Amino acid sequence: MKAASNLVLCVDDELVGLRIRKILLERAGYRVLTAPDGPSGLAIFSAEPVEAVILDYSMPGMHGGEVAVRMRLAKPQVPILLLSAYMGLSSEVTSLVDMYMTKGEGAPVLLEKLNSLLRPVSTS
Amino acid sequence: MNLSQFNNILRQVFLLPVVALLVVAGALYVQIRNANLTVNLIQDADARISQAALVSKLIADEESGLRGYETTGDPQFLEPFSEAEAHIQEEIKNLGDLARDDQDQKHDITDLREEHETWRDGFAIPVIGQVRGGGKANDVALNLHGKVLMDDVRHDLDDLIHKAEDNKARRIARWHRQVHTMLLALLFLALGMGVLIGLFTRNRLHSVSAAYQATLEILGRRAEELFQSEQQLRTTLDSIGDGVITCDAKGRVQMMNPIARELTGWSLAEARGELLEKVFPIVNETTRETVETPVAKVKRLNRIVGMANHTVLIRKDGTELKIADSGAPIRDKRGETTGIVLVFRDITMERKTQDALIANEKLAVAGRLAATIAHEIHNPLDSVSNLLYLMRNGASSEESNQFMDMAEQELTRVTQISRAMLGLYRESKAPVVVELKEMLQEILLLLERRLSDLGVTVQTDMLKPVSVAAFPAELRQVFNNLITNAAEAAGPGGEVKISIVPQAAGLDGAGQRTQKGAKITIADNGPGVPEDVRPHLFQPFFTTKGEHGTGLGLWVSRGIINKHGGTIALESDTSQASHGTVVSVFLETNPIINAGGG
Repeated sequence: MKAASNLVLCVDDELVGLRIRKILLERAGYRVLTAPDGPSGLAIFSAEPVEAVILDYSMPGMHGGEVAVRMRLAKPQVPILLLSAYMGLSSEVTSLVDMYMTKGEGAPVLLEKLNSLLRPVSTS
Repeated sequence: MNLSQFNNILRQVFLLPVVALLVVAGALYVQIRNANLTVNLIQDADARISQAALVSKLIADEESGLRGYETTGDPQFLEPFSEAEAHIQEEIKNLGDLARDDQDQKHDITDLREEHETWRDGFAIPVIGQVRGGGKANDVALNLHGKVLMDDVRHDLDDLIHKAEDNKARRIARWHRQVHTMLLALLFLALGMGVLIGLFTRNRLHSVSAAYQATLEILGRRAEELFQSEQQLRTTLDSIGDGVITCDAKGRVQMMNPIARELTGWSLAEARGELLEKVFPIVNETTRETVETPVAKVKRLNRIVGMANHTVLIRKDGTELKIADSGAPIRDKRGETTGIVLVFRDITMERKTQDALIANEKLAVAGRLAATIAHEIHNPLDSVSNLLYLMRNGASSEESNQFMDMAEQELTRVTQISRAMLGLYRESKAPVVVELKEMLQEILLLLERRLSDLGVTVQTDMLKPVSVAAFPAELRQVFNNLITNAAEAAGPGGEVKISIVPQAAGLDGAGQRTQKGAKITIADNGPGVPEDVRPHLFQPFFTTKGEHGTGLGLWVSRGIINKHGGTIALESDTSQASHGTVVSVFLETNPIINAGGG
């Protein structure tokens, strides 16, 4: 069953990884917007009707934690999935977001987590 | 009591008996003189008595001569009379002379003379004239008259003699009294003087003995204090944790504390009097050359000398100990060196601790890098795993080719990173030729993520490849450290400039010879290091990063650079206009590397 066409925002400074993630999500039936850093991600987030965010933690200038705080201030209902290459981020950071995973856990895990964020209660 | 007081007492004790004896002698002299005068008077009296006896005899001769002539008429009988008559006046005069100023006697003598003359003129001469004229002179009346006259004379004479004898007896009695008085006086004087001298001497000697007692007490107290102070010093030395050896000015061992005995393996009895070089032979840890003992150094420089590094003590049994030592001269009041104190300690444990700290810092660097590297590897791995997922779930062959190219790129990156990581931890036994430009680029690759996280841009100025002989892993640690420090100091928006400049052999500004090598500078435009902090930067456990730093980075870095025969220097500026910090490292192309460094 194809998922409804949800609009997802991906923020990551790793451009290759971002590109691949966009292809992956589009293949999974999502509409995807991308941003290479925190500030531009925030701009898109406030301008577009984004339904979920996949956010990288480690980025130059403004890290994922800070971006998440601002997004929560703007639209608290939008779920955020924090993605990081670092193991064991502090709970201070992870408590800001709805879900957290490390890079390298694989595409199925990512898709499953995103799906559960968008359809929290009954369907899946 | 001081010496002059003591001499004073000695003088007093000597002078008093002399004075006392003089007084006694004076008194004795006066007494004896008086007695002598009396004896003279007695002799005088004797002389008068015998003179009076002589006169008496002459008068008797006259009388008996006259009587014989009167009876016989023979002039032969008159001879004694004439004889006596010739001397009698003279002898009476002598008698008068003897009487001297005794008026009574003089008077008696004048009477005697007159009566004698009366007798002679009134009786003797007329009788002689009568007999010579052939007449008889046996007239009773005449003779009675003569007898009366002669009796007067005799009476006078007797009187004289009697008085003289009286006189003599009186004088003898006086003499006796005088002698008696003299004896008594002598006795009392001698007794008095004896008691006086005794009391005085006793008093003086008492003060001497009191002073002596006081001196003894002071000496006793001093000795006790000295003993206490020596005991204190001895206890201090014995309980001190460092080895202490004291030597005389010639460098012969005098004293060793227990730690010194334990460390050198020599007992005090064996070592005492031996030259320090024998008891305390030290060599350089690396070169094995004999090191000048601190004592010799103190003798040469005449000042306190500090701890020497990399010194090994060869113990009596031949085993070796790593030690640090120092020496100080012992000076007397005039400032002359009378001995030397040597202090040393076993730094084997210290060195082990130091080594452990260095290893610890290496681990800390590794830990910090591991996080970075995990990040660096996770990102490409995530991409690759996503690509594989896409390909497995039905991609066109064109897409698959594109995905494979991307996966390959990502894997190449992982390989590069893992290679750089290995380089940081590959230990080598001997120095190898290291290309500095390549090494710095590898380090920058590893740090790329961290630098971009910090928001720092890096500018490099590395035109030519420069090679030096070095332990690459250690140099990587140093530069990793310095670049991280610079980036953290620069902060978001900051800039780090890295340059490598080859240096030719020659003379530097100060005229020092410099070797061929390379100068690496790492400059940041951060706020700079405050002046009061700068001196501490190369000390262990000093950090400006709070809990995030071990405080060992610069300390270890300097150790490594020094081991490589190089130098590391830090300049910093905190002014508003041109703030920033520059760390420059100089490395020789072919250095002499200290094996024991660290």
